[in-house]
Amino acid sequence: MSLKLSLHTKPDVPLEADVICPDKLNGVNETAIAALTVFHGNDQTALGDFFTVKGQCDGEIQLEGDLANVKHLGSEMTIGKMIIEGDVGQHLGACMSGGEIVVEGNAHDWVAPEMTGGKITIKGNAGHLIGSAYRGSPIGMQGGEIIIHGDVKNETGNTMRGGLIAIGGNTGDFTGVNMLAGTIIVLGEMGIRNGASMKRGTIISMHHAPMIPTFSYVCTYNPTYLRMYLSYIRKLGMEVSDEQINGNYKRWIGDAIELNKGEILLYANE
Amino acid sequence: MSENIKIVKNATCTFCGCVCDDMELTVDLDEKRIIKAKNACVLGRAWFAEHTIGDWPVAMIDGKEVSKEEAIEETAQTLVKAKFPIIYGLSDTTCEAQRQAVAISDIIRGTIDTTTSVCHGPSGLAFQGVGESTMSLGEVKNRADLVIYWGGNPAASHPRHFTRYTVTPKGMFIPNGRKDRTVVLVDIRKTPSAPVADLFIQVKPGKDFEVLWALRALVKGKNIDPSIEEETGVSLATLEDLVDKMKNCRYGVLFFGMGLTMTRGRHFNSGAIMALTTDLNEFTHFVTKPVRGHGNVTGADNVLSWQTGYPFGVNFNRGYPRFNPGEFTTVDTLSRGDADAAMFIASDPASNFPKVAIEHMKKIPVISLDTKQTETSNLAHVAFATSTYGINTGGTVYRMDDVPITMRSAFDSPYPDDEEILTAIKKRVQELVWAKQGIKIAVGEARVA
Repeated sequence: MSLKLSLHTKPDVPLEADVICPDKLNGVNETAIAALTVFHGNDQTALGDFFTVKGQCDGEIQLEGDLANVKHLGSEMTIGKMIIEGDVGQHLGACMSGGEIVVEGNAHDWVAPEMTGGKITIKGNAGHLIGSAYRGSPIGMQGGEIIIHGDVKNETGNTMRGGLIAIGGNTGDFTGVNMLAGTIIVLGEMGIRNGASMKRGTIISMHHAPMIPTFSYVCTYNPTYLRMYLSYIRKLGMEVSDEQINGNYKRWIGDAIELNKGEILLYANE
Repeated sequence: MSENIKIVKNATCTFCGCVCDDMELTVDLDEKRIIKAKNACVLGRAWFAEHTIGDWPVAMIDGKEVSKEEAIEETAQTLVKAKFPIIYGLSDTTCEAQRQAVAISDIIRGTIDTTTSVCHGPSGLAFQGVGESTMSLGEVKNRADLVIYWGGNPAASHPRHFTRYTVTPKGMFIPNGRKDRTVVLVDIRKTPSAPVADLFIQVKPGKDFEVLWALRALVKGKNIDPSIEEETGVSLATLEDLVDKMKNCRYGVLFFGMGLTMTRGRHFNSGAIMALTTDLNEFTHFVTKPVRGHGNVTGADNVLSWQTGYPFGVNFNRGYPRFNPGEFTTVDTLSRGDADAAMFIASDPASNFPKVAIEHMKKIPVISLDTKQTETSNLAHVAFATSTYGINTGGTVYRMDDVPITMRSAFDSPYPDDEEILTAIKKRVQELVWAKQGIKIAVGEARVA
């Protein structure tokens, strides 16, 4: 039987609930879970003040209610699964290294910053800085998968060094900025200044995108590995056509200021 | 003019980030105002001339006059009761007052942010990401033979910047002053600063990042496509000429303003100019500096950095400082509706914040400390009137190049200064927090440093 947490009182100010994570709740009984500490602004309070706790965690947690103001869910998660029925607040799955989070609604900024493994699926939209490094940190996401079906905002994959970010909708500016390695697939349109300062890594978009002056066009080709990636995200429910899987892509390389080993692939048969 | 005249030499003007400390003020002590400010620029003259002692009460609660003590008690109670209190402003007060504000936010586990977050906050982020090759303005005066202004209009915003530090003064290695310097201005339109420059480069609006990036590539010897002109409005030849100037100067300096930090790209624009500076140090000595606006906004950054480790947007909810612009910066905490109490010190967010943030301000208890009546003090639950720093209050301010300058009071004001009020609030909130936690203090009042 899985654990069900339903929000019965909406927090007035941001609620930091990093205890809600399968690692910390596995095998713990209802009373003990309700007594765990959460931060309601600066007030240390009990999880039971906001959530109705039902069942016991056997690796899976279900969350219900408007969690748009609940932050740090699934922080440092290593195992298990979390299913969030509605919207969710900032820092979802921060630094997670394993397990799976599914969000049926929208997510806020900082989805899975500095994640090293595991998988996050968001059915709606998300905010800024998906899979990024925290400010001042040299490395962002290093592994795992972030699948977002909707749109996202700026700085997706800032300083990422590994893993996969797939965006079904559009992205804002500076997608893949400072990227060290890894893959970002954008099925919609990207904003401006994508891949600025990138060293290595791949950014793929199905639409034309403006290029900064330090990227140069190399060729138009049909990369084999891309078929595998696109077929994989299609299996996950993203809208990828056969033409896109078999089509040609314009390859741009950059950033010339850095190693010039990053690539941006833009679908050529648009 | 009365007979009772006082001359204050070497006074400090705190209107802008230049913090000129060579003012000679003539004070009419009977009328309690400054009648002449020798050496001041047009902005400084207005700053001193318009300063008079008002007749509004020292403290008000919901628009009604109360005693200072009552207002301090109400403020402390409000702040301690709040779950997400925010403190904002601080750029037009002394470092001593700023210290007290940091202490209060630490005690109440609140969020502290300064006006940096709406001006050069992106530069603060870029310092962290890229690093800053820096200097003092004295070095610029004595050494700089290439001065570049990017996205700023100092002729209007910092009128003495040119004459005191960067363009006309003669220096140790710049014996002929203006003749020994090359001045470049980069902006999206011809501003009143343009006539000062030897070279004016006009960039299409919102294309600064692309131009900076192209310059970085050229400095590193990479090729840039001539189509850059179509995109940015600046020809490749102009860029190559500028790169040539930059590589061949002895001491170059890049000043940048809010034309970079508050346009699309923000911290990446600031980061690009800092990275360009770093690149140029392969060839010559090059430094960069944001041209800061408010008199002591640089001090606010310094005080917050030395006390919390971070320059702005610092949160103490969990008892230790956390830094996350976008999450803990004031426009965001107000616009999202996170804050449930706010204290604004020496700033007027109600007149310049986004509408949604101001709407939230009206819903929560606001405490305001200001030298005059403002939009913010009008909507405040508790409003303190305080004395003006640099005119009625002494203390320390930081010039835009992080040089601390001590100032003295020119004449006394009947109003208390920010530090006095904040120290009293700090003592009271500490007592209340200790009482809440069941900590008893042995004797006397709370012993707070």
